[in-house]
Parts: sequence; structure tokens; C-alpha cells
Amino acid sequence: MTQVYLLYILGGVISILLYKKNITAAKVGFSIAAVASLYGIIHFFSNLGVTSEMTLGNDFLFNPHFVLDPVGNFFSFVICLISFAASIYAIQYSQEYAKKGSLAVMAMLFNVFIVSMLLVISAANVFWFMVFWEVMTIVSYFLICFNDSKESMKATIIYMGIAHLGGAMILAAFLLLASQSGSLDFASFANVELSAGMATAIFLLAFIGFGSKAGMFPMHVWLPKAHPAAPSNVSALMSGVMIKVAIFGIIKFCLWLPVMEWWGLLIITVGAISALLGVLYALTQHDYKALLAYHSVENIGIILLGIGTGVYGMASGSPVLAAVGFLGGMFHILNHATFKGLLFLGAGSVLYSTHTKDMEVLGGLARKMPYTAFAFLVGSMAITALPPLNGFMSEWVTYQALIQGALGEGIGPRTVFTVSVVALALTGALAVMCFVKVYAVIFGGTARDEKIFDNAREVPFSMLAGMFILVIGCFAFGLGANVVVEHIMSVVTGFTGGTFIATDGMAVKSPLGSIVSTPFISLILLGSLIMPFITLIVFKANRKAPRKVDPWACGMKYSSRMQMTAAPFTGDLRRMMNWLFKADVHYEDQGYFKPVKYSNHARDIWWDYLYVPVIKLVSVSSDKIEKMQNGNSNLYAAYILGALFFFLGISHIS
Amino acid sequence: MTVLFLMIFQVVIIALAAPFFDGIARVLRARLQARKGPPDFFQTYRDIIKLYKRGRTAPKCAHWFFTYAPYFLYATGAAMLAAMPITYAGYESVGYSDIFVLVYLAALLKFVFGVASIDSGNPFAAVGGSREQMIGVFVEPVLIISLLVVMLLAGTSNLIDIKNMMYAGEIGYFMPAFAVASISFLWAMYVESGRNPYDLAEAEQELQEGLLGEYSGSDFGVAQAALMLKQFAMIGLFITIFEPFNLTMHPILSLILFLIKAGLFYVGAVFIDNFGARYKLLGGFKTNATFALGVSVVALVLYIVGA
Repeated sequence: MTQVYLLYILGGVISILLYKKNITAAKVGFSIAAVASLYGIIHFFSNLGVTSEMTLGNDFLFNPHFVLDPVGNFFSFVICLISFAASIYAIQYSQEYAKKGSLAVMAMLFNVFIVSMLLVISAANVFWFMVFWEVMTIVSYFLICFNDSKESMKATIIYMGIAHLGGAMILAAFLLLASQSGSLDFASFANVELSAGMATAIFLLAFIGFGSKAGMFPMHVWLPKAHPAAPSNVSALMSGVMIKVAIFGIIKFCLWLPVMEWWGLLIITVGAISALLGVLYALTQHDYKALLAYHSVENIGIILLGIGTGVYGMASGSPVLAAVGFLGGMFHILNHATFKGLLFLGAGSVLYSTHTKDMEVLGGLARKMPYTAFAFLVGSMAITALPPLNGFMSEWVTYQALIQGALGEGIGPRTVFTVSVVALALTGALAVMCFVKVYAVIFGGTARDEKIFDNAREVPFSMLAGMFILVIGCFAFGLGANVVVEHIMSVVTGFTGGTFIATDGMAVKSPLGSIVSTPFISLILLGSLIMPFITLIVFKANRKAPRKVDPWACGMKYSSRMQMTAAPFTGDLRRMMNWLFKADVHYEDQGYFKPVKYSNHARDIWWDYLYVPVIKLVSVSSDKIEKMQNGNSNLYAAYILGALFFFLGISHIS
Repeated sequence: MTVLFLMIFQVVIIALAAPFFDGIARVLRARLQARKGPPDFFQTYRDIIKLYKRGRTAPKCAHWFFTYAPYFLYATGAAMLAAMPITYAGYESVGYSDIFVLVYLAALLKFVFGVASIDSGNPFAAVGGSREQMIGVFVEPVLIISLLVVMLLAGTSNLIDIKNMMYAGEIGYFMPAFAVASISFLWAMYVESGRNPYDLAEAEQELQEGLLGEYSGSDFGVAQAALMLKQFAMIGLFITIFEPFNLTMHPILSLILFLIKAGLFYVGAVFIDNFGARYKLLGGFKTNATFALGVSVVALVLYIVGA
């Protein structure tokens, strides 16, 4: 593990040394990141079940001790996998930013970002965990800043605000736990005796703190603003893996604390709400990167469904349920990283060749960029959980876990589990609608803006290579689901116990006796695809090349303005769900001879409900407090004295 | 291997027989509307063969997805039919006959339909695609709640096990939750099969026909066959799960029985879709869907409280 970290650090150092040679720096820096990631993939995969340690000299600050257990190896593997694709992609993609900022700095930050995530995973005490947690946040902040615009600056401030709130809660949770165990080392947390109230307080702090980074409802507001603002290779990392690091934190805490059943149910409920709201808001977006970011909220929800079931299983003393729940959650972590990374890279390619994030002016790009279109299509099908791709398998396992939970006794758990199954299914139906819209509006149909269409071209090789690595991942984790499940199960059973074996030859099975084999599904699908062609041959069909015509417009002359755009495609849904979107509808009549201007943008109402009051309160109270800062140094000395007395008083009490 | 062979066998037979039942339905519909209609029950075969001989057109703007969409639709419909344990209920599952596989194959079908409808560039097709997606959003909760109740009562999502439990009398209509779920599932099945008053497969540009209107020749023939297969798949799911009469486990006899039962549903639906106008999506449809959702929730509550 040390070598992997060192390689990334080396990449960072070399790229900053090449500061003067901007373009070379990017090529070298991102290539080293790619090599480091490839080495990391191999290393973490082959050492999945091994616990390894690393210490940086005992006398250094706060005992810098790093440990990777199987769970940590799994997360490190996921990080390296997505980093590999994103770094290869960035070699040529970053040239886009050559005029906007220093590519050397970008490559350095990129390397540091990856290594900070890896070190968060492996940190073995509170101090180093929090240090790298904050480094991760700050570096991602700097990376967003490469897209220098008023909007992205606002996004980063929101991001930092919520990240700090979350960071403070995580720190509070850690310190409470450390005060009970008497040490800041993670090793001491495992066997700590806690009262129920204390355990619950720690859990809630950690859950909300990590949840805010993961983008779960209602702390999701920063995610759809910050992720689209970043350069696409960074968005892929942020959405693909950074939010998973937060899930890692939640898992860690649940393994330390004496879990209770209702914690699991709480995680599941929050997960179901996140999944549904994430996809509903995604449906209304016109900015395809914001849309993908909302889908991260949805998928974090799905992951939480699995993790919550696992926690419930541990608490209720059912190792099999716990294992299947965690399996579903962790499998979906891997899968979501793969396809969301792919989709963000694909979105980056579209942005690279069209320079717009508004899908209403795109269209027909599949004819200009066929490979990007194919990659994006695979990503869309994987994220909508269509068989036999990878998203289907992890959702299937999650369904099995939820149903197994619903088979238990008790009206409360039964209600939560069954309602989440329905929420997950509804999320699936809405996601199909959403990705039909994204893929078809961007890549299908006629061009909505001729100028953009004419200038669009297929992206350079390294960007395609980055995407196709993840395309292969989408197929491989789907078709080879048995291998993936076997490996994740070996990680999961390490902490849940139980002896359930979730694979059966090429198939994956659940404790309920359900069994699914993705190779068989693809065999049947391919076989059925041949059937119509056989009939074509048997009946000697006329297979002359089709005559190219304009689409039928009921006898009118066809114009590309007749074509469906993204907003009306979801129009019925938006009308039905307007209580959730509270859309600002704007008409502007410009007189008889000009078209009416119409805009209808959905809003995230939770921002207005939950955050605006707090922001108002803060600005009002800071206006009031302003009076204290009057420039009188005598008064300042009095404040300092007052504070000293206050802390003396506190220390006297305890 | 036997299972794979039986799957192919049942799909081929159903695919060959489906146009016959469509022919019966067309004759019956014509009689009900006091039209003359097709001369016999084989008109749909003749239509498809004739379409195969015609030349094809395609919109200028469409890419390969549109061109191959009918074949994808057909493949998905056939794959859904293969997942029904009609002929191979007596065998171990090979990892295919699962309720979630079916549900997500149906989603694949919707995905293909939706993308092709926008890709065609036709404004009406895209409206149809959007409505098709909305119908999916309305039906999905009802469908999944009904199936969920069955899966919970059976304790598995394995269709072969569910079917065998049904025949062995371990689950069935003596369970109130199951009985209520069958009602809401019947509604979901009817809507999903694309019939009036919820949808119309063969008319109205801004419905399914919008996309079909852009196809011609053999592509159109395949698309029509695909929609028939999809209807049979939805009916088949109802028959597999909710139909309680077990007469035989013999593969060929049970396939013949299935064809008769599915055909009865297919033709019988004419009696519903022939009377009354089509519902507006956010009007009558929504009201109906809410009612069906209510029924399915009753089934779920019955399970939760342990009845």
C-alpha cells in the first residue's frame, strides 16, 4: 500500500516541478496517476483479504499509523479503479483548461486528491482521519475552482459550508467516542462499552456528518451544485468515489458501535427518501451534469438501503441478513462508481466538443460522436439497472435483502422494508424515464442548434480510452457478477459472520432461494435477438437499404423545431409533481411577430425550506453581533478576559 | 440444457401462435363494431408477411438505435416470455426465471421504446414515448406492490418456486393478501399490455403508434410482432403467478393450455377495449391508477398485519 501512496505523491511532486511546462506537466502528471492507479487496482485486488499496516516514524505528529483491513482494501480498490479511468481521460481532456489555469497545479491537486481519499480510508486514528478528510474536501474545492465562474464560486461556498458542518459533526462523534474509550486510536473503539443514549448520540452525529458528504437527503443541496461545476474528470472522482468515502465512514461507525435495530430502519428510510427525491429532481434538470449529480443522490439512497439492511441484520442478530444487506450496498458502491464515473466522463466529452451544458440545444450527436454515444448508452443502461449490466445485479441483491428483512416479524420493520422495496422500484421506473431523456435528447434526433452540431466532433483517443475502461467495467461486473459477489462476500462475512455462500456456479443466489445468472440472461437476450432476423430470412424480407426521409409531421413540412426537447418529455410528470418542484413559470410576450419566451425551471424546495431560514438567521444575527466589533481595543481585551474566565469556569465544573 | 431447450421451444411456439390470437381479436372487434373485418383468423400473418416484402424508410436524423429498435423490442419481449416457467416448471431454476428479471426486462423494453421515439425526430412519436414512460410510472408501484405481496407470501422471488407453491396449495387465494393483490395485478397487467382505455397500440399518433408510424416494411412488421409478444408476456405473468388450476406438468400439454388461457385473456380484452373512450393521462387514468394503488396497498397492509 505504501508504494501506491508514494506513486501518487511522486506524480504530484513531478507535475508541480514541471510548472513552467504546462502541457507536458499535465501529460506526465496524469500518466503517473494512471500508472499509480493501475498498480493500486492490482495491489488492492490481490490483497483484498489481507490486513496491512504502515507507520511513518513513531515520533512524528500523533502517531501516524495507517491500517487497511479488507473493507478498506475494497474501498481503495474502487477509488483506484475510477482514478485509473479518470486519469487516462484527463491526459487529453485537461488540455481544455490550458488557458484557464495551470495544468501542473491541476495534475498535482488531482494526485493529492486521490491519495487523500486513500489515506482517509486507511487512517487508524482520529487525528489523521480528520486531517485527510479535510485535505480531501479542500483539494476538491480547489479543483472545482478551475472552472472559474460566478456560479461555480457560489457552488463551492455552499459545498464548503455543508462540508464544514459535516466535518464538525464527524469530529464531535469521534471525540465523544474517544472520550468513552480513552484513546484516539481506532483500535480502541472496537470493544468500547457505551450506554444506549451515548451510542445513539454518536451514531446520529456520525450519520448526519458523513451523510452530508455522501449527499443524502436533506444535506444533498451542495451536490448538484458542486459536482457539475468541477472539471469532468474531477466530477467523475467526486461523484464516483468521494461520496463513497463517506459511506465508508458510516460503515466504520456501525461496526464500532453497539448497533440497534432502529438505526438500520432509519438508514433505510433516509435511503428510500434520498433515492426517490434524487431521481425526481434529476428528471427536471436541463443541465446534464446537474442531472447526473442528482442521480448520485439517488444512488447513495440505494446504497443506504443495502447498508441499512445490513445494520438492521447485525442488530437483530441475523448474520445472513446482515451479510446480504452489506453485500447489496457494497456491490452497488462498486457499480455506481463505475457507471457514474463513466457517465460523468461521457458528459465531459459532450461538453468538450459542444461547450454547453444545456441539453436543450444539443441533439443528434450520436452521428458525430458514435463512440462517446455508445459509452454513454452503456452507462445509462447500467444506471437504470437494465439486465444484464452491473447495476441490475446490485439492485437485485438489494431487493433480496429488503424482502428478507420484510419477512421478519413486527409491523414497524415490515412497513419500512416493504415501502422501501416499492420506493426502489418506483425509482427504477423514474430513472428509465430520466435516462431515456438524457441519452436520446443529447445523442438522438435532429440537431437543435446547427452551429453546435457542425462544430462537434469525436473526442481524442485518451478520453475514449478512459470511458471504455469503465464500459468494460459495466459489462464485466454484470456478467462476472458471481466473481464480484464472491470477493465482496469474503470481505463482508469478515465482520458480519455467517456462512452463507451467495454464488452458485455462474449464478448469484440469495438466502430466499432466488437465483439469477447474468451470463444466462445475456445468452437468452442474444438468442432472442437472432429470432426476428431468422424470420426475415425465412420469409425472404425486402432488406434494401431504407430510404432516408424527413420524419412524418402529419403532412406539414418538417422542421427541427417540431422535435421534442427535454422539458416537455417530462412535462406530465412535472405537472403532477409540481408541489415538489414549485417551478417558476415565466411567460414573456414579445409582441405578435416574435416568439413568446417561456421558461419553467424546477426548484429544489428543500433549499428554501431548510437552508434559507438558517442563512437568514445567520445574516440577521451577524448584523446584531457586528456592534461588538467597534475597533475599541480595550473592549477587545475585555472579551479575551471574559473568554478566559468562561473556560476557567468550565474546567472548574468538570 | 433441457431448460434452455424448453425455453426456446415455448418462445418459438408462442411467437408463432400470437398472430393467430391477434387475428381472432381483430375479427371479434370488427363484429362488435359492426364492421366486416378480416375474412378469417389468419389476417395478421398475412399482414406481417406482406410488410416483410415492402421497402423501408427511415428518418434522416436517426442513428443505429432507431434502426434496430424493433429487433431490440422483439428480443426483450421474447426474453420476457422465456422467463415464464410454462414448460419447465418441473426443473431447477437456472438463474433466469426471477420476478425482478422480468420487471427489469420490462424496463428495458420501455427504455428502448423511449429512446427510439425521441431518436425518430418525430414530434408525435416523442409525445407517445413520454406518455409511455408516464404510464410506466403509474403502473410500476401497483405492479411491484402486488408482486411484492406474492414474493413475501412465498418467501422467494424465484418464479418456478412460486408457481410450484401455487400448485401445491402452499400459497393461494385462501390468503386474503394474495387474493387482493391479484386484483391490482390484473389492472397493472391490463394497462401494461397497451389496451384502450389506457393506451392504444394501433392508433393515435401521439400514443404508441407515433413511433410505429416512423417504421415501414420489415421493421414495422417486427415492431408489431414485438408488441404482441409483450402483451403475451404480461398476460403470461398473470397466468404464471395468479392462475390456480394445475392440470398437467407435461411440457407440451402445459404449453397448449397456456396458449389457450393466454389467448382467452388476449381476445377477451377486446370486450373491454372496445367500449368507451381512451382516458386522459392526468385525468381518468390518474384516478384509475390511484384506485388500483389503493387496492394494492390494502394487499400490502394485509400482509404487514399478518393476515
